[in-house]
Amino acid sequence: MPIQLTSQAYCKMLLHAAKYPHCAVNGLLIAEKPKDKKKESQNHTVLCVDCVPLFHGTLALAPMLEVALTLIDTWCKENNYVISGYYQANERTKDSRLNQFAEKVAARISDNFNEAAIVMVDNSRLTISCFEPIVIIYDHHENKWKSREVTVDAFEDWHEAQKITSALLESRCYENLIDFDNHLDDLRNDWTNPVINKSVLDLC
Amino acid sequence: MASVSEMYDVGWEEMRDKLRKWREDNFRNSEQIVDVGEELICEHASKLGDDVWIIYEQVMIAALDCRRDDLALTCLQELRKQFPDSHRVKRLTGMRLEALERYEEANKHYDAILQEDPTNTAARKRKISILKAQGKSAEAIRELNEYLEHLCHYCCWKCQFILALFLETLCANILLYNFHSYGKAAFCLEELMMTNPHNHLYCEQYAEVKYTQGGLENLELSRKYFAQALRLNNRNMRALFGLYMSASHIAASPKVSAKVKKDNVKYAAWAASQINRAYKLAGRGTKENKCSVKAVEEMLESMQITMS
Repeated sequence: MPIQLTSQAYCKMLLHAAKYPHCAVNGLLIAEKPKDKKKESQNHTVLCVDCVPLFHGTLALAPMLEVALTLIDTWCKENNYVISGYYQANERTKDSRLNQFAEKVAARISDNFNEAAIVMVDNSRLTISCFEPIVIIYDHHENKWKSREVTVDAFEDWHEAQKITSALLESRCYENLIDFDNHLDDLRNDWTNPVINKSVLDLC
Repeated sequence: MASVSEMYDVGWEEMRDKLRKWREDNFRNSEQIVDVGEELICEHASKLGDDVWIIYEQVMIAALDCRRDDLALTCLQELRKQFPDSHRVKRLTGMRLEALERYEEANKHYDAILQEDPTNTAARKRKISILKAQGKSAEAIRELNEYLEHLCHYCCWKCQFILALFLETLCANILLYNFHSYGKAAFCLEELMMTNPHNHLYCEQYAEVKYTQGGLENLELSRKYFAQALRLNNRNMRALFGLYMSASHIAASPKVSAKVKKDNVKYAAWAASQINRAYKLAGRGTKENKCSVKAVEEMLESMQITMS
């Protein structure tokens, strides 16, 4: 059913958007693989424990997206994760509309995971203090993507998420965030972002 | 807060050189430019000689990115004093108005430049950027097309600019598969490749657009251009992955002859071995990267199954 975001997932999304303020950015949401097949169909919240930042700038070209999806899917399988959603921040500040590109990617993800969600970042409300959640979450109902009201329930622990994101934005941690584009530029760049993950853990 | 020179133990010459490198590479690392540039201007302006003016321009633009209107205005005023009738400075005045979202006034400045100098491409580019910022992508593209038709030859920035616009419009479009837009993007890249035959990035981007357009013919073209990009730069990972993906898809297609299938299996196998090699080289020593290496190997293997 509805997804929930951990602090790590939320803050890495925002760090990605903050690193490239003049570009559109996108990425994948990662959840732990449900141990029980039955649980997936019950009213069971999906906890997105992490996200993988993908691209910045040009989002709409197929080949690298395919590579990323396949590679990250393989990595997920090894770590008992599953790709559970897709996030996107548009190029223009005032534009946080869901577009067909996002829907197409999410449809692809839905092939593997029924409850896939789309998270759009509302750029116009991105601030260092992060005093309110700035994401819009879309769930798939009856062949349409519908947004739902985002409250603190959409987060595993909103106050923690807010505190950590704010601290990392302030310390300009986003300069060290690695997305898949950075990885393709230099393979040594690790898109799992172990350094940032550690910073998040340290602040918990 | 510590100064840049204290934090990084650099002198003013290094700061000046860093700014030059960022200028030459066209980086948009505005926060860093403001940090370094502001200090350089405030404390070492007299040492910079004639460089100071181009630095004022660079810092001003970066300041606009960072909402530092105070700094932007300071730089602008220095430039206005020094170059009172300059079109280049007028354009900067317009850019500041754009940053403040005062688009009507900005357009007036650009129109004034174009009246005195109708060939001023910088002013035209700004006008089109305003349309883009206002979300009027279709109008922006129309203006660009018109402008192109009136020119005798294509020059680099226009093609790159149209390309970026089209690719961005694709994302925002209601119809995802707007083949018309991909076609225009391909056209721009063809022009860019003609004037820059040694640029591996254009080859690779062209290949990506063709791949995205889909269909067997486009896939084969895409494979050829990924291969060409690799010939120009054998470390272009996107080209390597692209070669692998396009060759794999062609080999898996039921419409190809046995020979074409065999050839593409060979290309894909070669690309796969190169990809594995590149990952092994990159992953030497670190535990986390070993995980990446394994993931890539598995990914390539899983695709082999679908090919046969």
